[in-house]
Amino acid sequence: MTFFQDEKHLYKCLGGLFEKVRRDAMIGPKLATAALVIRFLYEEPEGQITIDLKTPPGDGTFFSTFYGKNDLEADVVMSMKADVGHRFWFGKVNLVAALTRRQIVAKGPIPKILKLLPAIQPTYAMYPEILKELGEDKILLA
Amino acid sequence: MSTAMAFPDFFQFHLPVRIVFGKGLSKDFSAELSSLGVSRAFLVTEKFLHTLKIPDRIRQALESAGVGIAGVFDEVVPNSEVGLCERGAEAARKAGADCIVAIGGGSSIDTAKAINLLLSEGGKLLDYQGAQTLTRPLKPLVAVPTTSGTGSEATMVAVINDPDSQSKISLVDRYLTPALAVLDPELTLTLPRRITAATGMDALTHAVEAYVDIESSPFSDALAAQAMRLVARYLSKAVIDGGDVEVRSALQIASTMAGVAFNHSMVGVIHGMAHALGGMCHVVHGEANAMMLPLGMEYNLEVRERKFAEIARFLGLDIRGKSDRDAGLEGIAFVRQLNQELHDLAGLPTRLSDVGVSRDRLPEVAALAMTDGSMFYNPRDVAEEDVLAMLERAH
Repeated sequence: MTFFQDEKHLYKCLGGLFEKVRRDAMIGPKLATAALVIRFLYEEPEGQITIDLKTPPGDGTFFSTFYGKNDLEADVVMSMKADVGHRFWFGKVNLVAALTRRQIVAKGPIPKILKLLPAIQPTYAMYPEILKELGEDKILLA
Repeated sequence: MSTAMAFPDFFQFHLPVRIVFGKGLSKDFSAELSSLGVSRAFLVTEKFLHTLKIPDRIRQALESAGVGIAGVFDEVVPNSEVGLCERGAEAARKAGADCIVAIGGGSSIDTAKAINLLLSEGGKLLDYQGAQTLTRPLKPLVAVPTTSGTGSEATMVAVINDPDSQSKISLVDRYLTPALAVLDPELTLTLPRRITAATGMDALTHAVEAYVDIESSPFSDALAAQAMRLVARYLSKAVIDGGDVEVRSALQIASTMAGVAFNHSMVGVIHGMAHALGGMCHVVHGEANAMMLPLGMEYNLEVRERKFAEIARFLGLDIRGKSDRDAGLEGIAFVRQLNQELHDLAGLPTRLSDVGVSRDRLPEVAALAMTDGSMFYNPRDVAEEDVLAMLERAH
């Protein structure tokens, strides 16, 4: 199964979530405390999304997002198939199990990533709603 | 509704290390070496082990098996640093080593894992920080533990100190696991009482945390349970009569079993606190674990009453007719009593103030402990104020 048709589709869907989260007054500040630059590298389709939790954007949002290749030095790089990323934001991927099974490869200080998990839990409910708003009902997971 | 126990949604049990045990086995493990197909071993060890002639014993065993000694790196110290590992790897590379042999406790084995990683793959150690970043096997690593506590001979984890970031970096990769672990209880016969006590409590802490934490599985539980039985039954005896090879055997087996257990299910709040106490205040790891173990057990009791009742049984207590909570409390009391016994027999410290930790540093220790990866696997969500309260009680 490939949920995303291409890189643009990937950015539309996952980006839709990140754009909402970075404006969310409940979740955004909690993520920003990690002070990390995290890069998600996706395969099938290829793409990358970088979130900068280190540098306050100064535009009323809590962190910055970048779509596609960029020169920002990442503290943590998480590589996975785009489908795994899609399932993750539905709360359907156990990160620890995924790391063990090498479904996700994480380079960098893993403890700091694990500490973010409680903070991102509310996003699991947000993602399906965002997909519906974007007219992406066909890739919703049961 | 099913009355069966709840199983995890997913677990994995993978044991790439070949574990061999035998009294005197470190004098001749040629049969196992031959299957590795190696010819030039690089020894990683600690200087003080030369006084016990342990590296010489292993060197002779290797040479008798037709494996040449490419070099000896005996600069390992507790809490080895990134730079030391990189120096060791450079020396191994220059010596043309095709395998690494770690001789010593947890620091030697973790350092050897890091050296092997750099020898096999090149680059800088920080490049490999993370989980399962490697894509191919490294050169064979043989681990010969000389203590009974670390379990590192059977794990895929190496923890190395990074002075630049003033933190410990974790390397977690199945390819870091030794290819061969040689368990020879004779190597532990001369361990001083206090080290015997501390390393034994380290093994017990591994087993207890592996048994209760969120990644525990039926496989890790079985190993953790047997490790607890063995430590409870034999640790004090080993301290009293360190020359009893049967007792030493029990502890060495327990230590490796606990290592395999926590390699799969990880550790929790107790290790989080112990790592912080080690990093900031240089408290010996096993001693920190011993002091924090009963407090961490109490902290987790409310979310794992059934499992703590089972732990009491593994520790040899008769819990028939008792509620899970009461049985669990008896298990915790047993651990306190064991600590006191080890204090009386071996001088194992029972309070953080005994090992030079000043009370005013505890808030910093608590804050650092909260950043430790172990906290994630603890069965109860950990709050910093609770960690501070435990540290203050241990002071």
